Amino acid sequence: MKHTITSRLLGLLAVGAMLTFSGCETATETRTVDAKGPDAINTSAINSQDWASAADGLINSLLSSNALNNAPHTPAILAVDRVINNTQMMVDTDLLIKKIRVALTNTGKIAITNTMGLGERAVVASEAAELDEMQSGKKAKILVPDYTLYAKLIQQTDKNGKMAQNTYSFQMSLVAVKTGLTVWEEEKQIAKQTKGAGAVGW
Amino acid sequence: MKTIPQSIRLAGGVLAVSLVLFASGCASNVNSYERAESQATPNVIADKRIITDNTLAGTIRVVSINQGTVSGNLIKIQATVENLRNSQRTVNYKFEWIDQDGMALDSANETWKTLPLQGRETTSISTVAISPRAVDFRLKFRE
Repeated sequence: MKHTITSRLLGLLAVGAMLTFSGCETATETRTVDAKGPDAINTSAINSQDWASAADGLINSLLSSNALNNAPHTPAILAVDRVINNTQMMVDTDLLIKKIRVALTNTGKIAITNTMGLGERAVVASEAAELDEMQSGKKAKILVPDYTLYAKLIQQTDKNGKMAQNTYSFQMSLVAVKTGLTVWEEEKQIAKQTKGAGAVGW
Repeated sequence: MKTIPQSIRLAGGVLAVSLVLFASGCASNVNSYERAESQATPNVIADKRIITDNTLAGTIRVVSINQGTVSGNLIKIQATVENLRNSQRTVNYKFEWIDQDGMALDSANETWKTLPLQGRETTSISTVAISPRAVDFRLKFRE
């Protein structure tokens, strides 16, 4: 009889231990979310929603300014100039620029040249133009851009006790090549406050 | 005449001050002033509302929606929204675009945006269709 009670007690303990350990085990769960929505993980850095929001704000401002109405022809040729990253983060600035390029191309008012400017696109386009020249024996016609687009990312960090605020500024300018005049400029800011924050970046 | 003990009076005073501070700390309503007779002539459009979340509809109200054209042939939509609550609320909104055939345009600028509103604040949200093919729009809100 005593043996039976001990066995039952041991059995119960074993079941309890199993439940305890299985409770500690966290199953990996992954779900697909809208990268441009509020379900994206929010951190003190620039997340996917922030990039989309900043790009959207800049596009809306550029199109609302009617700056492209004075373009010498349609579509106007645009070369993407440097994008300076003055944040503490190592980010691919195409996260911003690609969205701007896609939006401006979709409007039908802008055609983006790849034979000028910096980056891998310019290199590939230049090589393609050289190859075309070699094969055809004719000098490739390169369209001179009407506008250049310049952008800069800035991060400002402020701390007050355990509260840290990272303010990200997305600055963009559109310059008319012929006159050198800035025909549109905008700055969009996203400020993120984090309680008990550590450092952001590298 | 029965006198109230000094300690109880002191406690009452502290409580009263705390209540005043608490109430003032919670108040974040916005007072607005504007021209009595507006000079603007907005092109206000009639809208259809589909409410599936009554709590959200009781928090934020779309006062009006007006439409304009920018950059020659691109539609710009601006909605005036009001926080119906007496405290700060944050909602998310998104504009979607539809072409002449009723097809949704997968625009690069269709993103959920976060909108913090102070108590009773009225503000404007706007977007520009990045495609000249856009003729209609849909404005969505979520908490």
